[in-house]
Amino acid sequence: MSVFRLATWGWLAVVGLAGFATFEMKRQVAQVDDELGRVNRQIDADRDQLRVLSAEWSYLTQPSRLDQLRQRHLALVPVTRAQLGSLDQIPFRSGETVSSAVASAPPSPSAPGLAATRLPGGANLASVKPGAGR
Amino acid sequence: MKPALHLDENPCRPRHYKPAPCGALPKEGPEKQSLETGRTRLLLTGVLFALAFVVIGFRLVDLTVLKGSDVKLGHAHVRPRTELARADIVDRNGVLLARTLESEALVAYPKLVDDAAEAARKLVTVLPDLNRQEVQAKLSSGRKYVRLKRQLTPDQQFAVNNLGIPGVKFETAGFRVYPKGELTSAVVGYADTADNKGLAGIERGLDDELKTSDDSVELSLDTRLQYILTEEIQAQIAAFSAEGGAGIIADANTGEIVALASLPSFDPNDMSGANEDNLFNRATLGTYEMGSVFKIFTTAMALDGHVTTLAGGYDATQPIHIGRFTIHDDHAKHRWLSVPEIFIYSSNIGAAKMAVDAGADRQRDFLGRLGLLAEPKVELPEIGRPGWPRAWHLVNTMTIAFGHGISVSPLQMVTAVSAVVNGGVLHRATFLKYPEDYRPAGVRVLSRQTSEDMRRLLRLVVEQGTGKFAAAPGYLVGGKTGTAEKVDGRGYAKKQLLSSFVGVFPITEPRYVIMVSIDQPHANAKSMGEATGGWVAAPAVSRIIQRMAPIVGIQPVDEESPEIRRALLVDFAPSLGRKIAAN
Repeated sequence: MSVFRLATWGWLAVVGLAGFATFEMKRQVAQVDDELGRVNRQIDADRDQLRVLSAEWSYLTQPSRLDQLRQRHLALVPVTRAQLGSLDQIPFRSGETVSSAVASAPPSPSAPGLAATRLPGGANLASVKPGAGR
Repeated sequence: MKPALHLDENPCRPRHYKPAPCGALPKEGPEKQSLETGRTRLLLTGVLFALAFVVIGFRLVDLTVLKGSDVKLGHAHVRPRTELARADIVDRNGVLLARTLESEALVAYPKLVDDAAEAARKLVTVLPDLNRQEVQAKLSSGRKYVRLKRQLTPDQQFAVNNLGIPGVKFETAGFRVYPKGELTSAVVGYADTADNKGLAGIERGLDDELKTSDDSVELSLDTRLQYILTEEIQAQIAAFSAEGGAGIIADANTGEIVALASLPSFDPNDMSGANEDNLFNRATLGTYEMGSVFKIFTTAMALDGHVTTLAGGYDATQPIHIGRFTIHDDHAKHRWLSVPEIFIYSSNIGAAKMAVDAGADRQRDFLGRLGLLAEPKVELPEIGRPGWPRAWHLVNTMTIAFGHGISVSPLQMVTAVSAVVNGGVLHRATFLKYPEDYRPAGVRVLSRQTSEDMRRLLRLVVEQGTGKFAAAPGYLVGGKTGTAEKVDGRGYAKKQLLSSFVGVFPITEPRYVIMVSIDQPHANAKSMGEATGGWVAAPAVSRIIQRMAPIVGIQPVDEESPEIRRALLVDFAPSLGRKIAAN
């Protein structure tokens, strides 16, 4: 009979352990669920905050306001034509020959700007300094 | 099993005798038969149970070990849409133009308020911008529900809550903000946040979509270009003490409106300053007799219908007298003019004769194809109906040739001009952004060749004709001036002008069409007494192009390069050819 008794106790212990494990798992899930709810509320609050802040950012970056701030605090001006050009418009150094470069880039009607060997309008690149358009 | 038990409990059994578990098995007969059946059943049940456990075991391994990572236990947290939810409006670069934010509003149920005077006194101590008399009047009114203040800050809400006045409550309310304010109001419009209803502009035109969509509505507008356009028009209005102005920048190849200005404008954040004048959209709702810019269509029609060629011409020596009208030229040359000359010197006589040559039917058909005779279908509700004569007489054909007797909106103009210069394909104007590199199909309205000829002519106007001030060196601007006398009562008012310029750039491969119209400009000393399109609107277009080109990534080119000269060459009448060669 004692063998039978031992098995019973063993099973009882297993049942008890399983019960405790289930309870513990459920408790942990509830805890994590609480945490999830808290995080979700935080996300909502943060999103609301972000919505307000990005609207404010858009308001503060109104072009007219930026323009005024630029005039007050910066020495920057809009880019002018004299500051724009492509690589082939840069003059060669005195030693180099122009003919080889020109031969490799024959004038094509589809890309007229690229074939030009001087700046549009005849501006001299050497005279163009940063901020020269001011 | 009685015999077995009986044997087992026998006190006289031998010591080493162990009975069989089930006693002695019957060797034969029905007893053995039933015992076998029982065993078989037991075995079968056992196997079934074992199988079930194996299946469950496999499933467990499958779920936890094999598929464990695939199964999503959680799901993204989404807040339910509220009734006041309204989608954002953003520009083509994602810049925010309109958004609904939530705030707490202070409301009261007057019947629950015990002492209105005391409550008002207390409220004013924490909310100093409220008027005490007004609050008291509201609280003692017999109404069921009153609104006291919108948009409380959290601090104010806390302070009011601390007062503990019965009957005073908070309510979450949405309010619509327009961060760019007046700058984009002509397109974005405004909405009533209390009942979530769009009242003007895109807010009204796309009301249903804004109410139901979770994604923001992407407009074709570019806020940067919008600013440039608005500022330059504003500068011209100020310089010429004009009544107002309108302007549009459109993508010539898709029909997208990238900037649209109507001045004076209103601030959608503060509608108290709005009135009939600044709510009126001059660029889409206003229809005007456009004047000489219409010669673009007259010339395109004549060239496309092979009525004349670039080498052809008309006699413009004498004014035309028809009925009570006299058609004469503002920049009269008193001689025979070639078609390019008629265009660049903006000869009314030449244009009228050209249109008569083409015929009224062809003219009406051509203008109809360009969408100038019907309301354009766009996302904005403020769309003007074009005005044109139902009976299209000879005199109408003549005046419409130079843009009088027909009124259209600037929006229709840029759509039609885009079709003329982009190779001849008409694209419906739209305020919504197309996907990157998307080319809408469009409808062919004139031949490729005509379009190319028109580009050369438009370039000539800026190089040699009435539109010289529109030139932006390096950007190959083409365009046409227009100065229309505004209709005043029955006749035309000489002094009230609508001065316009339609510009296209770069003319070799048009990307943008820009229209600027200044309403009732007054000539000043700087403009040498002129208030025409060439003096008032063209300089604005020049500055707009110089400012926007670096932003939209258009490189300046050498305008004098032989390739460009060749591409834009126009065969003139011999007399003028010599003159140009001398220049």
